[in-house]
Amino acid sequence: MPIAQCASRGGVGIGWRQPHYAELLVRQPELNFLEVHSENFFAHGGAALAVLERGRAAYDISLHGVGLSLGSAVGLDAWHLDQLARLVDRIDPLRVSDHASFARGQWLGASGSRTIHAADLLPIPFSAEALDVLCANVQRVQERLQRRFMVENLSAYVQWRPQTDEPQHSENEFLSSLAKRTGCALLVDVNNLYVNARNAQIRGELTDPVAHCLIWLDGITPTDVGEIHLAGHCHMRPTDGENPQDDIVIDDHGSRVCAEVWQIYKHAMQRFGTVPTLIEWDTDIPALDVLLDEARHARLVQGANA
Amino acid sequence: MSMLAKQQQAMLAVLFDWPSHSAIKKIANYTVNTGSRGLKIYQSNGHVLAQRALQAAYPVLAQLLGAESFDALARAHWHTEPPTCGDVAEWGVGLPAFVRGSAQLQDEPYLGDLAALEWALHCASIAADAEVDAASFALLAAHDPAELHVQLAPGCAVVASVWPVASLWAAHADQSVPFDALRQRFQAQSAEVALVWRAGLRPQVRHLDPAEHALLTALLANQTLGAALDAASHGAALATQWDTHSWLAQAVQSGLLLSVRA
Repeated sequence: MPIAQCASRGGVGIGWRQPHYAELLVRQPELNFLEVHSENFFAHGGAALAVLERGRAAYDISLHGVGLSLGSAVGLDAWHLDQLARLVDRIDPLRVSDHASFARGQWLGASGSRTIHAADLLPIPFSAEALDVLCANVQRVQERLQRRFMVENLSAYVQWRPQTDEPQHSENEFLSSLAKRTGCALLVDVNNLYVNARNAQIRGELTDPVAHCLIWLDGITPTDVGEIHLAGHCHMRPTDGENPQDDIVIDDHGSRVCAEVWQIYKHAMQRFGTVPTLIEWDTDIPALDVLLDEARHARLVQGANA
Repeated sequence: MSMLAKQQQAMLAVLFDWPSHSAIKKIANYTVNTGSRGLKIYQSNGHVLAQRALQAAYPVLAQLLGAESFDALARAHWHTEPPTCGDVAEWGVGLPAFVRGSAQLQDEPYLGDLAALEWALHCASIAADAEVDAASFALLAAHDPAELHVQLAPGCAVVASVWPVASLWAAHADQSVPFDALRQRFQAQSAEVALVWRAGLRPQVRHLDPAEHALLTALLANQTLGAALDAASHGAALATQWDTHSWLAQAVQSGLLLSVRA
């Protein structure tokens, strides 16, 4: 199958969200690309799509999906893939991605069993069966889009219990196998890595979350990596009277990138080279200049590594 | 059923069964740390998303119900009719019927029709774009209307109600109807028909008189302009005078009428 390669390496972009639609089009700051959530532009017309086309005229676009449900045992939604293919044809993005997660599945409601979509990024086990399903679904997407797709590692708040005697993959082994079997690229979300490591630390499973993340990155083949994501997170501590187990770090994309994540990112740049990097901010979105400042920081790290 | 399918079904039950105690017990077969906050995070994500998605599509309904009641409505709808596709903008089509069937909202029977109007507006906002073909309007002078069909604006829809639904929406959405006038229309039990369409990128609403209601209903049913004008003349007999030329001019000017074809 002829699949176009991912775009050139390096560069920094920001997540382009509604509060910054107009300001960014007017100012046109120096950025290598804009990232948007694919599903927000599935409409066949209207204001949002018109804005995206204006943005596309000035910038390269990275289409990042949140709803393909690549890890679903019930398979992909043909309608969803059709919408994505149409948007890709229309926008001609630099890169296209989604997550190693599931959302579609069977639910037994009052009116019987039906296929629903949870509209969230739900974790999948790192089992052989899940890998087979993920590979088949990613392959189907690549064949439809006729391009190399990217799959992102998840921040997961639930851990699946191994169900068979077979050895389970670690997450980076699982994703590396996915890349090897399908030829897809990996979108490495450094903040997700750190959030998972912090939660593992809270559960008492490891002592040094940064060191854990560096080892995780060292298990990934550099040529497999197509894009890196950076974002902020928050630590939700239990209040008085709550269960001490209710201590959790959430990937809320609602603050600046923390020092530890910058440290892990620096390691990623040293290992992978200057991979295109995105600043994500989706909650309590600040002034555009704050995102541009984060982008400048990422560019400095890339420059120091060039 | 495969193990992966069982795991995923157990997770979806935790998110959509309500109450979820049984589902949380069941998923303990498949996960570790089930008592932790993780499952609650996913449940909470769903409730926040439900509220935001429906607030975006139904802003006036949300305004009328108030934050607490609207959150409760969104949560109940989330657990009764979960999304079926990965574009959350598509979720909420069932809310008007859900509102009409809600025991708690029986004292406000007009809310279902208001919700139907807001969903029509939401659909208009994302409907496929269409261009105006000004040159085609010359056909109006050269052909009998019975030989002509028209193309209406994206998202064009008619919402008929036994309540003054267009006034209710306008009073809250853009304050274009004073509340005194709205109160009088409710007291008079004025039925209203609302027209929804998108002019350029901007969704619009206005009240239709009986003649226009008949005309638009015929055009939306893909009848010829001639048949629609006949329907309008009949409708006008019930109310005011009908002026075809004025209506066509206004329809073109307001972006409602995009083109004519023979």
